[in-house]
Amino acid sequence: MNSPSRRARLTAATIALPLATALTLSGCSTHVGGAVDVAFLPQTSPAVGDLDRVKWSLPQEPAVLDPDAVSDTSASTVLANVCDRLMQVQPDLTTQPGLASSAEWTDDTTIKFILRPNVRFHDGSTMDADSVVWSLQRHMAEDAEESDEYGNVESVSATGPLEVTVKMKQRDAIFLQAMAGNGGIIFSPSAVADAGDNFGGPGSTDACSGRYRVGEWKSGTSLTLNRFDEYWNTDRTAHTQRILFTWADDDAVTNSLIGGEVQGAYLGTAAAAVPLLGNSDFTVAQGPATNAWSLIPTRSGLLSDVRVRRALSLALDREGVARAGFASLATPAKTPLGEGAWGYERDAFAAADEQLEGAPAKPSADDLEAATSLIREAGDEGKELVVASDGQPVRNVIANSIASAAKKIGLSPKIIVVPPQQYGDFYSDEALRAKADLFSDEYYISKNDPVGFYKNAASTAGLNYLGFNDPAVDAMIPKAKAATDETARAALAIALQNKWNDAMIWIPVVETPTTLAMASDITGAVASAAYLYYPWAADLGAARKDGEGK
Amino acid sequence: MSTLTVTPLPALQPRSRFGVIAWVCSVFLVVIVVGALLAPMLAPYAPDEIDFDNIWSSPNAAHWLGTDQLGRDLLSRALFGARDSLLGPVLLLLLATVAGLAIGTLAAWKGGWVDTLLARITDVMFAFPGILFVVLVIAVLGQGAATTIVALALAYTPVIAKYTRSLVLAEMVRPYVDAYRLQGVSPTSIAVRFVVPNIAPSMVGYLVVLFGDALMSLATLSYLGFGSQPPSSEWGLMVQEGQSAVIQGYFWPVFVPGALIALVVVAVNVVGVKISDRMNARMR
Repeated sequence: MNSPSRRARLTAATIALPLATALTLSGCSTHVGGAVDVAFLPQTSPAVGDLDRVKWSLPQEPAVLDPDAVSDTSASTVLANVCDRLMQVQPDLTTQPGLASSAEWTDDTTIKFILRPNVRFHDGSTMDADSVVWSLQRHMAEDAEESDEYGNVESVSATGPLEVTVKMKQRDAIFLQAMAGNGGIIFSPSAVADAGDNFGGPGSTDACSGRYRVGEWKSGTSLTLNRFDEYWNTDRTAHTQRILFTWADDDAVTNSLIGGEVQGAYLGTAAAAVPLLGNSDFTVAQGPATNAWSLIPTRSGLLSDVRVRRALSLALDREGVARAGFASLATPAKTPLGEGAWGYERDAFAAADEQLEGAPAKPSADDLEAATSLIREAGDEGKELVVASDGQPVRNVIANSIASAAKKIGLSPKIIVVPPQQYGDFYSDEALRAKADLFSDEYYISKNDPVGFYKNAASTAGLNYLGFNDPAVDAMIPKAKAATDETARAALAIALQNKWNDAMIWIPVVETPTTLAMASDITGAVASAAYLYYPWAADLGAARKDGEGK
Repeated sequence: MSTLTVTPLPALQPRSRFGVIAWVCSVFLVVIVVGALLAPMLAPYAPDEIDFDNIWSSPNAAHWLGTDQLGRDLLSRALFGARDSLLGPVLLLLLATVAGLAIGTLAAWKGGWVDTLLARITDVMFAFPGILFVVLVIAVLGQGAATTIVALALAYTPVIAKYTRSLVLAEMVRPYVDAYRLQGVSPTSIAVRFVVPNIAPSMVGYLVVLFGDALMSLATLSYLGFGSQPPSSEWGLMVQEGQSAVIQGYFWPVFVPGALIALVVVAVNVVGVKISDRMNARMR
């Protein structure tokens, strides 16, 4: 008998290898669809030691460090440490004075900010009322990213060397919270002028006064922040000398953490933390956030009928989405806002949330029957429902879940895939929106006040793609914005929430708390959504003192 | 008047020397093709049937190959996915062969500036990295399975044209071509009726080998998000959708389609090389 040829041996090996690998790998498989136990807190335990450098991962390289040009997650995560605001978000998402030592409503439409003295910008200049007026006016400019925070502002003026007065068209209860976001950042006008057109880009210096200053930004590679040792608040320690940012998507971040290339990250997708759970070398924590994934109907198709929106909401398996898309690190949502938005009257909001109907965690047989009846009543049986995805894991899970729900209630689903780079255009491109009946997205607000979100139900709101028009809602929004009494504001916010839910302007899917993953030898970072505005890196340090064991 | 002599093809060997491995691969390919054709009857579940209570199950009695991130049955998805995965390469090679055969034959037959022009055009296309060329075409025409097939067909056309040209050039020096010319048969008729059929056996072996390459290319483009779109279960797309499972320690959603791609490509290559060898032997 002839021995097999070299080619035959090679072929046999090629066939055998995958099969052998499969058998080996099957032993490594873990079922991760079940419930998981992760600490839920606003901030990790305080640091006890100093560090020379911490390597941190961002979801992507910041486009530019200018919040008036782009306010994306990466840029905000960096700027939180570089720039101070008039007010400051705290880890528990409450708001405290920042560069303004006090903010006081002097009448219904006037607010007076008293500024802290001796605040030095990174370029050496000193903050005064003029620089604050200049900064706020920059944010107010028509095309500025933060201009929507200034919708009620009539004028900003310096009324003293360290006093700024803002005149409003009407009383705006959430304006102070907005001043803790990127819209409240105070720049050194001279530093911005010196940077010219390159302001905020690689190679330019920052113009802020925060605990860290922008060091070297190697475009495409890394961005370093250096501790600013002339920081105005000498009580505010910063344990870490330098923060080195790199960027990668969530799956790569998890690998980088395991491989030790980075020491921490705020994860965009909670499910990416699963491989780190139960590993004592890592800390995974979740914290309150306003984030939630929603289905955003466009005006073009089937979902312009509220019955179809309600039907789809009734049939959607949110628990399944939370498990499949987020490894149970998200929770089914009844509203398009995370609980972190309940910055006041929490009990009232929780009770109202409890009462909401129409968005079951897991649809029952009755829900499906009701949904099918709604579709029948609308005369849309068998009609095509076009769902947009970007092909990425979370949106794929959501799109397929919608398709499954739609099929169950008599619709004919179709998934279209838009490149991830183009997906964000759904917000601005009407022609793109016309191609789908709905798109899904994670949305968050910078203020822990539901009014800041439900204002989008106004008939003139930019995000009201359905053209929802309810005069009662239009009348309620300015009242809610003006209500400085928290009980009254909560009542109005809840009324708006009920209207929103009744009309299903957006269909809620899951709430997604902030997910923080860190090597266990560092600690201190906030675990809540405050990381976008609060100087979290200043709290970051060693979990143990030198020489202290694990 | 000269007599036309067409070399007869050698008779098939009475005893096949196809080889055990090639037979195994052939049987495997037949099983896959039959599985694809009979998917609606063979698949235990609908390919898009979601079962959130069975996310990322390992192989078990209910799901022989396990389930994916949505609890969809991987066996059912693989069977249905075989349709897209196998039909795509067939269609693209059909398109590329029609175009490549015409261009290659024309270039060899006409020679001169026509040959030079076509050679330069194919050289330019060769100079482009294949994937870049395909991505550029997709950027113009939009993504999707149909576009990817057209884009890849364009990319494969110069490859087939070059191969065809070399075969036709070798064929043109054979006496029967001169004989037909002398008989007054038109060049087009000689090319279409006699030359192309004579090079067909070599082309078939070559195309079978190219099939594996085309399958891999289509799967790669689907993996990159350019090709088949959800909820299709084309194998490359299945790998892409399953990759998030790998990071979480679960390999089956990637392994099943990945292994199928690898095994089909290997099987097709083995069979293709065997067919090519036999065809060449017969030609000799």
